[in-house]
Amino acid sequence: MDYSSVGLKCGLEIHQQLSGRKLFSNKVSKLTKESPDSLIKRNLRSSSNERGISDSAALYETKKNLDYYYEIHNNNTSLIELDEEPPKLISESALSTAIAVSKLLNCTIIPNIQIMRKTVVDGSNTSGFQRTGVVGVNGYIKTSKGNVSINSVIIEEDSARRISETKDSVTYRLDRLGIPLIEITTGPDMKSPDHVMEVAKKIGMILRSTNSILRGIGTIRQDVNISINKSSRVELKGVQDINSIHSIIDYEIKRQKTELEMNRKEVSHVRNIKPDLTSKYLRPMPGSARMYPETDLPIIKLSKKFIDSIELPELIEKKINRYRSLGLNKEISNKLANSNKSFLFDIINFEEDPTFLARTLVDTTKEVRRKLKIENFKFPDRLLIELFELLSENKITKNSISEILERFCRGEIISEICQDYKPISDSELKKIISNIYNSKKDLNFGAIMGLVMKETSGKADGAKVAIFLKEILK
Amino acid sequence: MEYGSKVKVSYESNEFYGTLVESSDKKIILLKLESGYNIGLPKNKVKISTISKPNYVIKKSIEKKINSSLPNITIISTGGTIASEVDYKTGAVTPVTKTSKLLEKLPEIKNIANINTIEILSKFSEDLSVEDWTNISNAVYKELSKDNIRGVVVTHGTDTLHYSSAALSFALQNLGKPVVFVGGQRSSDRGSFDGGLNLICGLHVAKSDIAEVLTVMHGSSDDNFCLVNRGNKVKKMHTTRRDSFRPINTVPIAKVYKDGKIEIHSEYNLRHSNKPKLMQKFDEKVALIKYYPGMDLKLFDFLNKNNYKGIIIEGTGLGHIHSKFLNKISELIKSGIFVGMTSQANYGSVNPYVYSSGRNLFNHGVTYLEDMLPETAYVKLSWVIANFDSAEIKQKMKQNISREYSEASHPNDFLY
Repeated sequence: MDYSSVGLKCGLEIHQQLSGRKLFSNKVSKLTKESPDSLIKRNLRSSSNERGISDSAALYETKKNLDYYYEIHNNNTSLIELDEEPPKLISESALSTAIAVSKLLNCTIIPNIQIMRKTVVDGSNTSGFQRTGVVGVNGYIKTSKGNVSINSVIIEEDSARRISETKDSVTYRLDRLGIPLIEITTGPDMKSPDHVMEVAKKIGMILRSTNSILRGIGTIRQDVNISINKSSRVELKGVQDINSIHSIIDYEIKRQKTELEMNRKEVSHVRNIKPDLTSKYLRPMPGSARMYPETDLPIIKLSKKFIDSIELPELIEKKINRYRSLGLNKEISNKLANSNKSFLFDIINFEEDPTFLARTLVDTTKEVRRKLKIENFKFPDRLLIELFELLSENKITKNSISEILERFCRGEIISEICQDYKPISDSELKKIISNIYNSKKDLNFGAIMGLVMKETSGKADGAKVAIFLKEILK
Repeated sequence: MEYGSKVKVSYESNEFYGTLVESSDKKIILLKLESGYNIGLPKNKVKISTISKPNYVIKKSIEKKINSSLPNITIISTGGTIASEVDYKTGAVTPVTKTSKLLEKLPEIKNIANINTIEILSKFSEDLSVEDWTNISNAVYKELSKDNIRGVVVTHGTDTLHYSSAALSFALQNLGKPVVFVGGQRSSDRGSFDGGLNLICGLHVAKSDIAEVLTVMHGSSDDNFCLVNRGNKVKKMHTTRRDSFRPINTVPIAKVYKDGKIEIHSEYNLRHSNKPKLMQKFDEKVALIKYYPGMDLKLFDFLNKNNYKGIIIEGTGLGHIHSKFLNKISELIKSGIFVGMTSQANYGSVNPYVYSSGRNLFNHGVTYLEDMLPETAYVKLSWVIANFDSAEIKQKMKQNISREYSEASHPNDFLY
């Protein structure tokens, strides 16, 4: 398709959840599948026509007064999420992350941030509003097709999760309510699906570089705004996989063209993306005006000193280059840079075999967890640092690491475990190798290696065995 | 530079367009952007130019219609916002007290009663004085005296709501119609505002035959029902929860639902057509003193020197204070000052006979006030001193005038 002749203009809106505590309460950002500890029922009064300005979305959403049920789990819900207590001061780590992202996107940082109340009438916020504030404005990112403008970087609370509904009620779960979100909005500067994909991936990389984001399905939400010549802007919500953006945009262009051909001028509206990548009408485009100050919170004053003190993280793309220059291949560099282990890699700095270190941090730990069925277990950083210290002092061997980690998970103490993995001396090792070789001359190299490794049960370094065996074979 | 004007603001290399809104910090200008967000910029680092002056939109108000099949109820507002209006252009939140606006915000009212609204005060309730109790009593009495008024609702800030409701429970004797205090724990601008349900339920109760001074506030964190509590046996027990008003040393009189259903839980005075008796004076020279370990004896000297006429002590446990105070208290009583004892435990009755501390205090003239709440005792003493002879004070304080004492205590009374 010739996107320029169609006059395609695209903008992106990205919402990313942050890890740590919730934005305005001390509860942890954590979703849960367990059944609730308790439930409360509320009704919300929808805003009627306020002075002067009408809001089409609010009017549209004003149905008969529904009952809202809110599911409470004590480990992620406090009185604040229940709208029974005023908010705590903003999470400093979330704010710092938002400022760092704004800087990385070349924005002007707002020196006095006022948190606003944005009226929400569908029950997804217990108070009837969402707390939101603008942190950075008027930024840009460099892309292969020139700069793309970044309109704003906003810090705000995520809403409660819709669980079920009936004719007269909706049930929400409060685990997600209050999780910090960074919202990044671009200008309508992208002129093709490829460009949209490039920008989305770059922004995603910048967000991941902060190391403060939540990972997993649903932790990042992407919406795309599309218009073509003579059409109104349409927002498509819910781009699940950025790689499907071509189809999504092509279908929408086709749909908008059809509307224009039928002489039906649509008003700006919001659509939901369906699994087949076409879309369905959701609601009118909300007006901008349903916001007023959150008076329970003071204005956040950011001194120049504070803004300057916020350290910018190393971008993932730079990390990847750095790891490649250390000799790591493309696949492991990518994996390591995108994981949350890269800082540990840099601290440990196992110069004799960086690839082995990378694999251990990213793959081995995962394998051990999967094997013992403890996927949520986190190996203490101290442990991994210590193991590599022992390794560089030749007190354990590389191929013992996996077993040591397993035994640690089973509750054994490291210092005791490591006694069993003291490397065999070279002379001892050579003796074992020649014994096995002499008794099994007919076996091939690989088979003999296998027997040696079994015999030495982790106390020999595989690479060394191979070298000695090769020597004997000569 | 007028607030509400459309302006252009230059800051660093940016140009912002928006509406100038009021900022409490004079070093910052607050600008409402097109998106609706406010941003704050340092005044000394920006250049502002006006694009257009503010324009005001006059909104048409709803016409009030009288429904002759419904009773008339007066809503007296003293400052507890029961409804408000948000001007999104400036962010200002203005309390709404006029009938027409109330009907707009709470349209269910027109199926419950014909209301008329009177604003007598507009204060945070922590700023109310003893004199304000007199003013509120006068205004309520005036409405109660009108034959066509079925009952009165008073909107009030929650901080001292239980002081005012206790005050009126004494000031209005022989009450034949309900007087209902309501408030809101959340701000009235938000969709989850609890005061709406409280007012609706309050109106239902004002129509009922529960002829006492009452509070009607949420009974749980759900928007399900409100508790109807006796105004002199209720206390705000949480700084912020919707259901913070709990009955103390009693169960609620009733539960009330938004459809008007009322479930009665205990006895109350019935509606009758006789006129109430207004005894609206209160004396300021009464003190409420909470005892604590380490308290200075000299605090009582201050009260004596400054002509205080009565003291309510919030003692510990069954009504005790440090024995070193015994002589001082004795002096005060001998010089004509009434000293009454309550407990800072709030729940339970004080009793002078169980321990020697109590026996000593009692023998030295301290009046033990059974299960009366300290705040209620303070308000009652202020009222008794202002309306009766000094010789009658002790007898009046012990007399169960407005059901402020419970006949008996029951297991359910505790932490209801």
